[in-house]
Amino acid sequence: MKQLFPKLAFFISFFLLIGCKKNEAEAVAATEIAKNSIEYASGLSIVKHEGYSVVKVSNPWPNANKSFTYILKEKDAKIPDSLVSYTTIKVPLESVVVTSTTNIPFLEMLEVEDKLIGFPHTDYISSEKTRKLIDKGAVKNVGQNEKLNIEQLIELAPELIVTFGVDNNNPMLDNLKKSGLNVFIQADWMEQSPLGKAEWIKLYGALFGKEDKAKELFDKIVLSYNQALKLVAEKPAVSTVLYGSMYEDVWYVAKGNSWVAQFMKDAHSNYLWADLKGTGSEGLSFEKILVKAKTANFWIASGSFKSLEEVAKANPHYAEFDAFKNKNVYNFEGKLGATGGTVFYELSPSRPDLVLKDYIKIFHPDLLPSYEFTFASKLK
Amino acid sequence: MTDKKRNTILFIVLAFGLFLMFFVSISLGSVTIPFKDVYTSLTGGHATKSTWEYIIINYRLPKAITAVLVGTGLSISGLLMQTLFRNPLAGPYVLGLSSGASLGVAFVILGAGFLPPFLSVIALSSYGIVIASTFGSSLVLLLVLLVSQRLRDTMAILIVGLMFGSFTTAIVSVLTYFSTAEQLQKFTFWSMGSLGNLSWPTIIILAVCVSIGLLLSASSIKPLNALLLGENYAKSMGLNFKNARLIIIFATSILAGSITAFAGPIAFIGLAVPHIAKLVFQTSNHTVLFWSTLFFGAIIMLFCDVVSQMPGFDVTLPINAITSIIGAPVVIWLLVKKRNFQ
Repeated sequence: MKQLFPKLAFFISFFLLIGCKKNEAEAVAATEIAKNSIEYASGLSIVKHEGYSVVKVSNPWPNANKSFTYILKEKDAKIPDSLVSYTTIKVPLESVVVTSTTNIPFLEMLEVEDKLIGFPHTDYISSEKTRKLIDKGAVKNVGQNEKLNIEQLIELAPELIVTFGVDNNNPMLDNLKKSGLNVFIQADWMEQSPLGKAEWIKLYGALFGKEDKAKELFDKIVLSYNQALKLVAEKPAVSTVLYGSMYEDVWYVAKGNSWVAQFMKDAHSNYLWADLKGTGSEGLSFEKILVKAKTANFWIASGSFKSLEEVAKANPHYAEFDAFKNKNVYNFEGKLGATGGTVFYELSPSRPDLVLKDYIKIFHPDLLPSYEFTFASKLK
Repeated sequence: MTDKKRNTILFIVLAFGLFLMFFVSISLGSVTIPFKDVYTSLTGGHATKSTWEYIIINYRLPKAITAVLVGTGLSISGLLMQTLFRNPLAGPYVLGLSSGASLGVAFVILGAGFLPPFLSVIALSSYGIVIASTFGSSLVLLLVLLVSQRLRDTMAILIVGLMFGSFTTAIVSVLTYFSTAEQLQKFTFWSMGSLGNLSWPTIIILAVCVSIGLLLSASSIKPLNALLLGENYAKSMGLNFKNARLIIIFATSILAGSITAFAGPIAFIGLAVPHIAKLVFQTSNHTVLFWSTLFFGAIIMLFCDVVSQMPGFDVTLPINAITSIIGAPVVIWLLVKKRNFQ
């Protein structure tokens, strides 16, 4: 399953992950006045100094035993001796290769998508803006699934490759570094808080010298998220919710502290497994699910179902739930891009406000009468 | 005590064991349902909770029936192959039939995207998958047989079977490389094996396929016994050897193919069960072996199913893991004691 990584980057983040701990306290103390500009993301810190920034990625993958520190150096800037041992990246970047579709919206929001020159498995990218660049040949395909093609990358010679690690063994990353390419390990997929994931836009702000623009964009998202929270504040969380789907005999539900569970909580709904401690997902037997969720009001199905008929065909047991009988089944992953990429996987991490609004519209439709779903669709 | 008397008693015990195991498999699961409610649900009454009734009638009962079909079918196909190859280590999984069926299914699930929409719908239907899977398993079986004509050495045949197995696995992995995440996920979960998500109509398709396979096998009992004494002897008895062998091959392929299509590639049952039957009944007469393998196959598969969802655990284990955990030691033990079988 490792091959699926780019597309499933955050699908897996709530399916497989174990836990992440906050690690914000260790900001670099190079100068007294410098302050970490990151508020919500737990695995990222960016400290801006005169002429350079210190970026630390502290939780790069599940059970990581190391963290990564990078120095983003502006032209002609001087780096203190204490920092020269870290990887230095010259900013603003003129060319970049990213490996996760979740990073594409960040580039577009900052209007630097023209700096993207390569992506592994470009078919997974759905955004029309970037798709045009791919069709024009400006963005090269540099691999299949998560496997980067090292020869193509050397030929392409981007100033930076922004990628991610899966565990403590990343022979491919070592190979890339050996070949003289600059590699940045990002970990937006490890974040569990909706705003924390979105705050990784600030990393791209720092890489492209657009810190202020990134902050402005992120603040807007925070504002929009909080407005949505305010909207639903008075509504009691009465609707019970079943989440997930069955793969063969096992039903995967999101655990209580996961990214998805957070949205369901923030949208004031009563997610039936909200008390299940931990992040990621848990596989439960169908019997347990049926007993607990037979009468649930809503079912948020995972998977790319297009109709109730397709759901019932996939597994006849699905039809036994009241939510199915009452046609209260929604899913988020049904919308696909022109070349088969899942829009939700790509766009949702950077736009938590839209995800939250979708959830609010599902559980409290009267609050957002004129709002159209961005990701969700009601199955018919 | 004569053999006949002993066998009669053994069969009575087996029949009782099957009945008991069937009931145990329906009574136990991750949700605890009182015995009384299990009984009322099964006899058409209403259980205390409607969800319990649904679990018993629409989840556990079909699963138990699937387990019986899968267990009997795979065990009999193993018995047929062991006699056909005159090799104690033959079985649908070991000789690559399951991998052949996987290849068929992989072509259908992973390759459906390349077909025009109306064809891909047909290909992805239950029938399409069964046909592809049976086709794949019979192809491998025929190839193995073809090679075995030239190589009389039983060890060589096994190695050839293993090679076909890894060859098909390699083709499957090349296919997965070019398929979408979703297709890949579907195929990966299929390959883990499952008894639990068959609807009644699919169970009927499976039951029909397994019944055809079993009937053909039952009709081949005499040729099978003759085959034990060697092909030449079988011919000298006036047996239409070619015909008989064709029927046995077809029966094996349809059993292994249809079961693999619906339940995934299930390991070791086909290899281990016939040996257990042979050891308990101490005979090589297929009239006895056919029925004893049938019973043992069903009982052992039901047992694996019960283990895979032990009460008190929230999680069910993949059935393939359980059959391997139980089956692999049996195979090792057989290898150690191999002299006795040759």
